[in-house]
Amino acid sequence: MMHLSEEELIEQYYSKGKSAPRIRRHIETCAQCAQAYASLQRDIAAFPAVQPPVRDASYGERLWQSIAPALPRYESSKRSWPRRSPWRVLVYSSAAVLMIAGAFFAGRQWEHRQPPAAASNPLAHPQPVQPLVLVILSDHLDRSERLLIELKHADAGSAGTLYPLRDEARDLLISNRVCRQDTRTNNDPALAAALDHLDRLLRELNSQPGGLNAASLTRLQNQMKADDLLFEVRVLRSRFPEQQTAKSSGGSI
Amino acid sequence: MFCMGKNDHAAVRATLNGDKEAYGALVVRHSQSLFRVAYRITGNEADADDVVQEAFLRGYQKLESFASRSNFGTWIYRIAVRCALDKINSRRAGGPGRGAEQALPEEQSVRIAEPAAGPENLLLSGEIGAVLDMAMNSLTPAERTAFVMRHMEDRTMEEIAEAMGIQVNAAKQAVFRAVQKLRPRIASLRVTK
Repeated sequence: MMHLSEEELIEQYYSKGKSAPRIRRHIETCAQCAQAYASLQRDIAAFPAVQPPVRDASYGERLWQSIAPALPRYESSKRSWPRRSPWRVLVYSSAAVLMIAGAFFAGRQWEHRQPPAAASNPLAHPQPVQPLVLVILSDHLDRSERLLIELKHADAGSAGTLYPLRDEARDLLISNRVCRQDTRTNNDPALAAALDHLDRLLRELNSQPGGLNAASLTRLQNQMKADDLLFEVRVLRSRFPEQQTAKSSGGSI
Repeated sequence: MFCMGKNDHAAVRATLNGDKEAYGALVVRHSQSLFRVAYRITGNEADADDVVQEAFLRGYQKLESFASRSNFGTWIYRIAVRCALDKINSRRAGGPGRGAEQALPEEQSVRIAEPAAGPENLLLSGEIGAVLDMAMNSLTPAERTAFVMRHMEDRTMEEIAEAMGIQVNAAKQAVFRAVQKLRPRIASLRVTK
């Protein structure tokens, strides 16, 4: 026959009769366990409940007075952030994190879509501000220089060589207009003055319906000489690298 | 001071709505029961007073989490048990607080209810109290707390477990071990008497 352990007896004591029926029945039928249980009851019952010292009626009031100054008053309507429910704090925090992540991602995308020149060091890549216009200008000056040289050496007696000059002058008038418009925005007085002089000469050359006669050729040559136009065009051409000039020399606008 | 006639829930609501004095009513109402359990667990008045004060401070700080709970008395009682357990744990670890071993002579013995307190009985009572005090001090903080709650406060194992933040089985084991340690001391008293 298995006897009850001390733990089972202690459980029976503190359960106040509500322990497992098996334990109750065993104590009723087993004299040895009944004796052990009676001994346990005596021992535990002999252990008195500790009686605390008496605290008078004003104890609670004195206690309250001692802690009240340390307690902040709860705010009735406006609760501070840490006092909000954990779920609400979690939702607000998540929304903030998403907004920050979204802004970061959008910034990265915007940065990637910018032209490389804008993102890199301009000194490391000395590209012209408006490459297309500069190519046009370089080509225009190149062609203008050739026209001016031909005009300088033209002979009123050889009329066949003068017609191509007028056709070339008509083409150059168009490109000269583009370059002049661009020059106005770039604030380059020397270039502007040269293009103005060239514009006058090209107009004059283009406006000869019957071709250049000796008188008009001499007048244009004198005008070109007076403006020192060929020299100006050469100076302006020297601003551009030879490579670029050579590359663009065969092209046209 | 908040009207004592109002129940605990009303006092809690009033406190959370900004009426700090309403909490004072709760302190007055429950301070005696908290002092009793605090004294039984810690074994001396000074520590018990500290525990009660700490329990009401913690209770005020956590009052919003009480809102859905049913009984303020049970809730603050549990907080006091935790505070008392912390106190005797720190005392055992050599932290601040006055242990029973260093208690003043007049505090050294636990008080035993004596219906007829004659001079001889008082002397005997003091001797028994000293032995019982030593017996209690032989328990671990968890055993002592569990035993006090079960044997002296008549709390169920579930209440003990919840107050101490442990499993019910662990609470039962703590009570069993406490009784096993205390029985020989009590038996020796019986022989001496």
